[in-house]
Amino acid sequence: MIDMDTKMAWRKIWRNPRRTILTVMAIAFACLLLVFMLSFQFGSYDTMINSSVKINTGHLQIQAEGYHEQPQIRRVVSDPDPIRAALDRIDTIAGYTCRARAFVLASSTARSYGVMVVGIDPDKEAKISSLKSLIRRGRYLTPADSQSDITGVLVGRLLAKNLRVTIGDEITILGQGRDGSIAATIFNVVGIYASGMDEFDRSAIHMPLKAFQYVFAMGNAVHEIVVIGKKLNQVASIQSTVQAALASMDTPLPLKVLTWEELLPGLRQAIQMDLVSGAIFYFILIIVVAFSILNTFLMAIFERTREFGVLMAIGTRPGRLTRLVLTESAAMSLIGVATGIVAGCLITGYFQTHGISLGDSADLLRQYGISGRIYPKLSLLSASLGPAIVWMITLLSAVYPALKIRNLKPVEALVYH
Amino acid sequence: MTSKHILVILFTLIVMLARASIIQAQDVKSIIESAWNQFRGLASISTVEMTIHRPNWERRMTLKAWTRGETKSLIRIMAPAKDRGNGTLKKDRKMWLFNPKVNRVIPLPPAMMGQSWMGSDFSNNDLAKSDSLLKDYTHTIIATETDAGKNVYVIQSIPKPDAPVVWGMQKLKIREDHILLSQEFFDEDHQSVRIMTISDIQMMGGRLFPKVWKMQKTGLDNEYTLLNHESVEFLDQLPDRMFTLNYLRHPERR
Repeated sequence: MIDMDTKMAWRKIWRNPRRTILTVMAIAFACLLLVFMLSFQFGSYDTMINSSVKINTGHLQIQAEGYHEQPQIRRVVSDPDPIRAALDRIDTIAGYTCRARAFVLASSTARSYGVMVVGIDPDKEAKISSLKSLIRRGRYLTPADSQSDITGVLVGRLLAKNLRVTIGDEITILGQGRDGSIAATIFNVVGIYASGMDEFDRSAIHMPLKAFQYVFAMGNAVHEIVVIGKKLNQVASIQSTVQAALASMDTPLPLKVLTWEELLPGLRQAIQMDLVSGAIFYFILIIVVAFSILNTFLMAIFERTREFGVLMAIGTRPGRLTRLVLTESAAMSLIGVATGIVAGCLITGYFQTHGISLGDSADLLRQYGISGRIYPKLSLLSASLGPAIVWMITLLSAVYPALKIRNLKPVEALVYH
Repeated sequence: MTSKHILVILFTLIVMLARASIIQAQDVKSIIESAWNQFRGLASISTVEMTIHRPNWERRMTLKAWTRGETKSLIRIMAPAKDRGNGTLKKDRKMWLFNPKVNRVIPLPPAMMGQSWMGSDFSNNDLAKSDSLLKDYTHTIIATETDAGKNVYVIQSIPKPDAPVVWGMQKLKIREDHILLSQEFFDEDHQSVRIMTISDIQMMGGRLFPKVWKMQKTGLDNEYTLLNHESVEFLDQLPDRMFTLNYLRHPERR
């Protein structure tokens, strides 16, 4: 049986429907906004992470220990074949590829520069990274490029500009092989790519992995095995599975599995910074809403002073009155929060399926492999965190007016106007 | 009368001291110059065995070097066979590399000057700017030691204010018979970064010569580059055409 006080509280709310609806809507709107914006934020992080890792790093990389800190050509993954076999057996992995790197002096007829030469597996690389889609002139690498006399390579747009080369020009490279011998060869520029990131476009030449292994006396070794998982939130479990598989293998140099967080520490920090600034914004929003609700409740109390006076005159204890008022506030908050959560989930859910286009900049972003749509991500956290805090703050703001009732003297209250 | 005497004595002392310090500065620079002349001469031809040693591998190369004065040098790799024919030409502060496999002369850009030369612990700068010590630094003798019964000057060299050098300080030990014993390189915080030590001083090419040079990062005993001079010949001069790009590309049979 619902007790009398609750029934009274409920009826009391609907005595003044307009005020109640407005209060409820204020709370509901705040909740809706918080649910949507939190989901949007989390969704955009996912997009940001996936775009960033697709350019170069991948979700995980297997490297020789110490290679990430100091990339020396001798710190190799000596035999990638058993590792490839192990990776094939893990079903949470979407794909992988191998790469090797060396620092060389690259020289065209006009200029010389210190650059990084990256050996890639053209077919597998196209599935793992966005390199193929970033080609602006010429073409991507084909397996035939490693067999020709003059190796076909891809050059970043800025590097091509610095070296004053274009499609069909030659670049000579001079570096050091794995065995310390002098590595030298001539390249033929077959494709020029632009990623939009100056650092990336200025510093590397991509060549077929087989040719790299020959020129730099690598044997079968590589420097990185780049792995992409099917889902971003499975990365940690993939890492532990791969580590377990590696532990059972006997490798000349100890190997390490690094996640994108270790490979791109700046990304994790950028996300954290964004979370903090978001939190500040939400905090301000909630305070504003809280004050407006406080105002409403306070005014309601003042308006009903005579009514409280009557109730107290006929013997209602102040404590009971306080409880009554609090119940009213709680009921309004509850309706508001519930409505807000439902509406927020519906709207977020709609955009989660359809995505939010970024308008004109969408085309620009698509050129760099970032899809022009952001998908908010609804989760238990994003749907409940905001409304929960709104719920607490509204209850808190109801406490002050309710406590004022305790100080009412019936005689004064009766004649209050 | 007494005060006049004192003034004269003071004045003489000051002049003497001033002269002494000027002489001192000149002396230090000439000490370094004569040490450099000792191992370079007017022109030289030498055969050097370079060993690059790391914790778990080692590489040996045989080099032949032709030098003229401080500004010109040509170095060719003679062994191992895989790398034979590679060359480095230095003229003033510019450097070029030649590789016979791709048959190209590659100019070394300023940005690569800090990189290691041929994978060793010597940088391209070490070769290109070998005269930098004399031009860009001010030197003072900070101590004297003895080695094999001879005096050794310990010299501290500080870069001049606007000098284009990467080091914050250098410390040299030069013996009184013009033999360089060691050269230590410090960064801006005066922390020791690299040190080159000379050992096995012998008569070669008609003079006392530092035969074995060892360059290593300070504190890392397992990583170093050893230059062992197998033979040295000192000449009055070497022809100009030896130090051209054409010669770098096509050495005549000698």
